[in-house]
Amino acid sequence: MMRASMFSMRLVVAVGLMMCAGATACGNFLTDSAAVHDPNTPSTATRNQLLAGIEAQMIDQQEGAVAMVICQWVQQCAGIGGRFVEAQGHYAISGTTFNADFNAIYTRGGLISLKTAEASASADEDNVYLGVLEVLEAMQVGWGADIWGDIPYSDAAGGSPTPTFDGQMAIYTSLQSLLDRAIADLAGSGAGPGVADYLYGGDKARWIQLAFTIKARLYLHTVETAGAGQYALALSSATRGLSSPSNDLFAVHSNATSERNLWAQFQLTSFGNDLVAGKVLADLMNADNDPRRPEYFARNPLGTYGGHDAVTNNTPADQVSPIFGSARTSNVTFPQPLVTWAENQLIIAEAVLAISGPVAAQPFLNAVRTKYGKPIRAVTLQAIMEEKYILLFQNVEVWNDFKRNCYPRLKPANSSFSAVPGRLLYGTTESQTNGGNRPPEGALQSSRNANDPGPCPTA
Amino acid sequence: MRHPPRRCLMLFVLTTLWAHRATAQVGATISGRVTMDGGIALSGATVSLTELGLAAIARDDGRYVIVIPAARMPWAAVTITARRVGYKPRTMNVIVVNGPMTQDFSLEGNPLQLGEVVTTGAGTVTQVEKLGSVRSAVSAELIVRSNESNVVRALAAKTPGIDVTSSAGDPGASASIKIRGLRTIRGSVQPLFVVDGVPMDNSSFSTTNFNPVDAGAAGQGGQDNGGEIEGTSQPNRMVDVNPDDIESVEILKGASAGAIYGARAANGVVLITTKQGRAGPARYSLRSSVTSDDVTRLYPLQARYGQGQANILSSTCRSTTTLSPSSACNGSWGPAIVGAAFDHAKEAFRPGHQNDGVISVSGGSDRTTFYLAGNVNDNRGVFLGPNNYFDRSTARLNANHKLAETFTVGASVAYADTRGHFTQRGNNANGLLVGLLRTPPDFNNFPYVDPTSGLHRSYRLPDPEITTVGQTRGFNNPIYSLYEELNEADNSRTFGNVNAEWIANSWLKFNYTLGADYTNDRRLEVCPAECSDVAAGGRITEGYITNGGWDHNLTATARYHIHDDVAGTVTLGQNLNARSFNTFSTVGRTIVVPGFNSIANTISRDPPSDYRTLVHDEAYFGQLSLDLFQQLFLTGALRNDGSTTFGSQNGRNWFPKASVAYTFTNVVNPWHALTYGKLRMSYGQAGQEPAPYLTSPTFNGTGLTAGVTPGTGLTPTQSGRGGLFFTTTKAATTLKPERTAELEGGFDIGFLRDKADLSATFYKQHTTDVILITPTAPSSGFSSEARNVAILENSGTELSLNLRPLSTATQAWDIGLGWARTQSIVVDIAGADFVTLDASTVQNVARKGSPLGVFYGYGMIRCGLSNPNELPVGVLAAACVGKPVGTLYIDDGTKCSVDIGRPCGETLDQRVLGDPAPKWTGNVHSSYKYRKLSLSGLVDIKHGGQMHNGTKGSLWGYGTHFDTQHRAICTGGATLNSDCTGNLQVFGSPGWYPGPVTGPGANMAVPIGENWYRNDIAPCPFSGIDEQCIEDAGFVKLREISVGYSFEGAWVSRALGLTTLDVRIAGRNIYTWTRYTGLDPETSLGGSISRVAGADYFNLPQTRSLVLTISLNR
Repeated sequence: MMRASMFSMRLVVAVGLMMCAGATACGNFLTDSAAVHDPNTPSTATRNQLLAGIEAQMIDQQEGAVAMVICQWVQQCAGIGGRFVEAQGHYAISGTTFNADFNAIYTRGGLISLKTAEASASADEDNVYLGVLEVLEAMQVGWGADIWGDIPYSDAAGGSPTPTFDGQMAIYTSLQSLLDRAIADLAGSGAGPGVADYLYGGDKARWIQLAFTIKARLYLHTVETAGAGQYALALSSATRGLSSPSNDLFAVHSNATSERNLWAQFQLTSFGNDLVAGKVLADLMNADNDPRRPEYFARNPLGTYGGHDAVTNNTPADQVSPIFGSARTSNVTFPQPLVTWAENQLIIAEAVLAISGPVAAQPFLNAVRTKYGKPIRAVTLQAIMEEKYILLFQNVEVWNDFKRNCYPRLKPANSSFSAVPGRLLYGTTESQTNGGNRPPEGALQSSRNANDPGPCPTA
Repeated sequence: MRHPPRRCLMLFVLTTLWAHRATAQVGATISGRVTMDGGIALSGATVSLTELGLAAIARDDGRYVIVIPAARMPWAAVTITARRVGYKPRTMNVIVVNGPMTQDFSLEGNPLQLGEVVTTGAGTVTQVEKLGSVRSAVSAELIVRSNESNVVRALAAKTPGIDVTSSAGDPGASASIKIRGLRTIRGSVQPLFVVDGVPMDNSSFSTTNFNPVDAGAAGQGGQDNGGEIEGTSQPNRMVDVNPDDIESVEILKGASAGAIYGARAANGVVLITTKQGRAGPARYSLRSSVTSDDVTRLYPLQARYGQGQANILSSTCRSTTTLSPSSACNGSWGPAIVGAAFDHAKEAFRPGHQNDGVISVSGGSDRTTFYLAGNVNDNRGVFLGPNNYFDRSTARLNANHKLAETFTVGASVAYADTRGHFTQRGNNANGLLVGLLRTPPDFNNFPYVDPTSGLHRSYRLPDPEITTVGQTRGFNNPIYSLYEELNEADNSRTFGNVNAEWIANSWLKFNYTLGADYTNDRRLEVCPAECSDVAAGGRITEGYITNGGWDHNLTATARYHIHDDVAGTVTLGQNLNARSFNTFSTVGRTIVVPGFNSIANTISRDPPSDYRTLVHDEAYFGQLSLDLFQQLFLTGALRNDGSTTFGSQNGRNWFPKASVAYTFTNVVNPWHALTYGKLRMSYGQAGQEPAPYLTSPTFNGTGLTAGVTPGTGLTPTQSGRGGLFFTTTKAATTLKPERTAELEGGFDIGFLRDKADLSATFYKQHTTDVILITPTAPSSGFSSEARNVAILENSGTELSLNLRPLSTATQAWDIGLGWARTQSIVVDIAGADFVTLDASTVQNVARKGSPLGVFYGYGMIRCGLSNPNELPVGVLAAACVGKPVGTLYIDDGTKCSVDIGRPCGETLDQRVLGDPAPKWTGNVHSSYKYRKLSLSGLVDIKHGGQMHNGTKGSLWGYGTHFDTQHRAICTGGATLNSDCTGNLQVFGSPGWYPGPVTGPGANMAVPIGENWYRNDIAPCPFSGIDEQCIEDAGFVKLREISVGYSFEGAWVSRALGLTTLDVRIAGRNIYTWTRYTGLDPETSLGGSISRVAGADYFNLPQTRSLVLTISLNR
């Protein structure tokens, strides 16, 4: 019996040992990478890979569905054909229409990627890289605030399941400081993204100039609410902004199916012919014989350029220029201009006009008109804004200008609207999942953002 | 696939060797003979000295020998017990002394199976009377008698509470088994299968999933669900087990029984034990059966009207160069046939046959036993042509060797090779039944190639010229599909285990099992150049599926005996399990050289796809049993599971269980007639693991944005630099397994001197943490996340009654009745309106307050059921005043866009249209034995439960269904009543949508023809109004019937050299009584891939069989 019990003791120890061994030797069993991390999609991304996604996301924002509807709302473009393009042009949109575009500010290549990449750049003490990301963050979030007004920012993509919404004006203030930080960071140490940055090739000087132009843009967006003092701030930023056309920011595209210019891609779908030239832009360009007409539009069946009037919606078809077939949309690799020296010159022109008057502002308007081979035109706010309206074809920024200065004068393209709408409706997914934080929004007719309290008078 | 951690194994070996060295040599010997009534030897009885942990098995002559090593000599009285399945165990007290001694046993019959050992999973066992939950055992005899080559099918109607549905009757088609209803929304509904202690894969994978482009559903790396509604039948992989190798099956029905398997047992566990050899002369068994198969039923088709529309045969329907325009030539709405009519219902079928051969050799010595078996099963199906078969070959060797009296090692190795050619089915222009049943009766499908051009001819392109090479035929000629399509699946699988048992001392025992399972499955589907629709031009799909897994299970079981009235066991165990799944596939399009079936022989290819998953589980478990006063049996168990599928913040989860069994007849027996009575109650929790990688943060490199419209978008690779972005689904770091808690209670009684027994079980299951992919605030950075949010509940009753009116030495008669009911309800689905369960031709949903899996869709406008705003405001409400709920609204042609006298379809709200789950299921089985003659039969009953018969709705639309033989003749637009004459019907009258009606058009007689069947709400798949296609799918099925005779005796042994020669004639699925109008109410479009079996859309037919079996035993 004695022997048996000693034997048992030994056994218990042995088996205990073995089960411990099971637990420890197999301690990595539940953390085995192939079992924990999906082998079918990457579970980590390098900073350079994230940057490629972030920049592509920014390009999509500038060229995607929102840009197409804004092009119609400011009547640079018009929708025909009775399908969704035309319906949206007459303000038939809902929270689902731009749900994906709202979400993209935060998901995918949006703020979640930006914050991750910024954390990585900070950890590596690459200030230049951080600066580049900060500029992109300001563009990304600024774009959202311009369109939707109050949106989640300070609390967004940071772990909170239901981020709070920040006021639009507060967001603009934060973005100015963010851009100041970006400018300081870009002037600091670090290797930067180099060629991984396919927009500027990691060129610090150009990123700094871009940051200043974006600052100037954002100051202008606050003029209506924060007052004319913003012009001085805009001017001081813009004078350090994009210094020559060679520093312009363009989208990057290739012939690969999924890397083509989105405007060109859209024109190739079965809906492509539903989007045509808008009468307001075509008329303005015709008045000046603007040399950019063949770049923007194809000739109409009469052999001239003309646009569809979205307000009367009865322009004879043979007077309307298609967009399909223009120099831009015939070229799937067309580098869409996003932020340019010419825009910066016109920002200066507007600010100088407000501060010092037309004589001082004249050279800046002249510089742009000369660049495009057009004669001198006397400076007025209308002249500057019309020049900018032509320049910023297909660029969402033109809507921000219109909301502030109301040039060119536009009639709403829907008789039940007293003015061109001033914002888009929040995405439905955000509304349904974060309804407690989301500010109430009225119908599209009456809904306006904080920076734009007053609707434009109808022409 | 990772290897088991080496240190674990090495330590095990070292530990066992170290201990083994200490075991002793020789001692006493107990021998004797085990017999039954009349002194007849009982072979295979186990005689054990429980206290010493020693046992032996009786040979053919009933003799056994147990050697007690000197070191083990108890020097005290010990108990010796003889047990054999079917006999009451007998226990004696013996005083062991040095040298030989004798102990004989005579055992009585044991119809209540008391004292028999029951496997309860993960290495634990108990005895029938100690079991705290209901026992559901299926014997080897019942499995073999079912004549099914798929063990899942063989379980049909064997025990109450399990629902087995064969998807179709073509060779190799899967069968699905659901135990006590459904308990998940996104997970699998199939139970865990465990063979000889090792979990075994029972997945089913459709080759169609390799082709997400044509299936039209978004899928990731071959994980698309297209196979649920189209493609071929596919086996469920338990088909790799040869049913003849099975010794016994124990089904752990609920969480309370299966909790020992933790996070994998929520759907129940099926424990399969394979046969082992026994000491004695080698036994040979050779069984051969031939089966003749036939379709159970032909589809009811009309034979009076030919191809066309509006009573006109358009001349363009006979074009030789292009496909006929669809609507005018699609259907059989043409004039009455003048010439020959062809019976398409029958022409694609022939008798099928099956040859099944099994050979087994088993035997061994006192130290070494083996069981070696091989099986060849060739099954030629009932469809014409060479491409309709499923052949399986299996081999198995189970061997055990006693290294010492206390140390046994064993191995079990099985290999299965299956090769099948399958037939396209379902929602599929290249499927058999779509082409067959839609062909107008005036078109001859033979020959299927044009005699001049040699090209595929179909009713929509009847005389194709050579210019039609590579063009679609609309729908394939069904005979072309059968002869020319190739749908191949070749599967090789090896599975088995090595195991060891070490009896450390009189109270402690160790068991170890290391199992592995590896499958290589090759798929090739070829649709030749003149295939239809998406396969036009020819399409080749090729893919490989590699499944692998291993399982390590170590248990230590200690027996304790404090007092005669206080005893029990303690089990501790560790389990490690790894499973991998890998696919690689490509689709090639436009075949260059006909008949050369390689991807290389195609002009273009879809992007190749690969997909992998790997899951690791690590578990510890313990079980404590306590037997009090030999009448109260308590069991408690606890399992702790870790899995790589769990979120990092919920990495480990506990699963408890407790049960009590009270055998009250052991103490008091108030009623003389009651020979045995047990009350039992058990509670347990079991889970279902989340799908792999829901917890893993992932990045994507394609499709960054949706662009402006479908077909536009950007990737994060602008300018060719590889970029990535976060996927929109958040890594679910808190994800837990779905958890089912079950409370089960019931009783088992034996009465009338063991001539009858009754068992009743009641259960309630509460399933929480059911996983849904829920939307999250996009501003958080992610727009969806898998979360444990839904709650489901099931409750049910199971009854079984067995009667043995006769049991004498010469004759025995058994009758068994089983009855079960399961009711489910969706308690919560996190605020969603409903969640769809499967991809199917009808929507089966989880909807709060309804049973899980109900049909949800649009119906006809009815009082109290439809949204009151369906018609112009106030119309429905006014019409429904004073009418019962469900009254059918009949329009006057002004309130909804139909004609006068006809009902309207809903457009606003979907509603619950029916429930595919049966109200109750039952079975009746009986066997009678007179000397060597035996008769048996099994009836399977499913009461209630509905089917969405989309085949019928579709054929109404095409005008080929038998119902359309009685038709109004319509001309012109063929949509208005005024276009049609004849076949006047009144909605709401007996025989034509009977029931109360209301509305301005009520009780009007209207002509019913093409205007109703093709254009209106009738053809459910096309009209989107599903209600009229929902049918009762209840049935009573004569599942099995057999007559056998066993020859034995002198002439058999002398003339044939055999012990017995058995001859048996059996029938399977002989007859079905049903109101279902389709081919068979037992059918499932998605097979075992789907959670719900409730859709019939050109599903392949079921078969019935006549089987002749001859077994030679020696």
